[in-house]
Amino acid sequence: MAERIDPPPALREAIARDLRPIAPLPPPARRLAVVIPVALALLVASAAIFGLRGDAPRLGVALTWLASTLQMALGLVLTAAALRESVPGTTLPRRVLGVLIGTAVLAIVLITTLTWFASPTRIASGHVGFVWTVCVAGTVAGALPVLAIAGWLVARAFPLRPRVAGALYGIGAGLIADAGWRLFCHFSDPVHVFGAHALGIALAALIGVAVTRPSAESR
Amino acid sequence: MSAYQAGSMAAFEALYGRLAPALLAYLTSLARDRGRAQDLLQEAFLQIHRSRRAYRPGLPVRPWVFTIARHVWLMDRRARGRRPEITVPGVHGAMAPTLPELPVPPEVEGLAERDRLTRALSTILPDRREALLLHHVWGFSFAEIGQMIGIRADAAKLRSSRGMADLRRVLHATSRGE
Repeated sequence: MAERIDPPPALREAIARDLRPIAPLPPPARRLAVVIPVALALLVASAAIFGLRGDAPRLGVALTWLASTLQMALGLVLTAAALRESVPGTTLPRRVLGVLIGTAVLAIVLITTLTWFASPTRIASGHVGFVWTVCVAGTVAGALPVLAIAGWLVARAFPLRPRVAGALYGIGAGLIADAGWRLFCHFSDPVHVFGAHALGIALAALIGVAVTRPSAESR
Repeated sequence: MSAYQAGSMAAFEALYGRLAPALLAYLTSLARDRGRAQDLLQEAFLQIHRSRRAYRPGLPVRPWVFTIARHVWLMDRRARGRRPEITVPGVHGAMAPTLPELPVPPEVEGLAERDRLTRALSTILPDRREALLLHHVWGFSFAEIGQMIGIRADAAKLRSSRGMADLRRVLHATSRGE
């Protein structure tokens, strides 16, 4: 077992043909730093473009900016977890994955419930379909820049469980996008939030999985 | 590894020379077939080469390399699962009459002759055997095993200790049977 063996000629030739200096990946925190400015821009983008939600004075800073910043931070944590997951030998245990995703779900439930109690607003009948479409599309569109950057960062590493890595940064991107979108969308009805907004986050997660899997399998 | 990332062929050869024996033994324990393990070893080093950018200098090399080798085995197993395999008795797979030479934990080396130890190891549940060998033969910490396999450190420890208990039980049972 302790004998030293040399690489077979075919392997040696294959390696020699492709051997060139490469820059190693920076640590996950430095790679995540690329995503942070985009996340911050998304946090303020919806409110800056479409205006802050009408019930913001009733909700106060805690249930508007603070809650959205917390949600954005959770999105960044999930994205960081995806970056870590995409480096071999640092695979996340299932329980940690469960805790991460469970915390994100709990945070959304808590923020939605508190917002609903502080300012209950429903969509007028006849506009439900339109509002849902706008909110799903807005969340997914907002998630696209984060999906693109995080997807590129994950693909540059070597995700051995591409579906897990893709789902993690997909949910992260969805959370980041929705953190900004909820500062504009003033409908606090849980049916709308757990329906339209959660659907946007779920679609972002699906895009993450769909993009990461083929890129990992093409190696 | 840093020299290899910088493009040194000598560094690759040194890495291969240092890691290939342990990787071959690990792949043999997973695939239970020395010939297939040798093929997987070459594929593992090709994957290591393709993904050498993903290694971060300063981190331990062995968990990174073993995780890639494990992935190569998993992919191979999945691919074989997709296409039906024609097994020739005595050549490949579970029908082979002679088991491949598996590494043996030093803790139990004195309990029986090597052949009996290898056979006893082969009867243990694969996930327990893997954790047992990774810890007792190749010296990985339970935290490292957890990160390699995707389980918690205490779950890796449990698998390993159950594997060791199973191994002792099988050895005890076979020695009483003789």
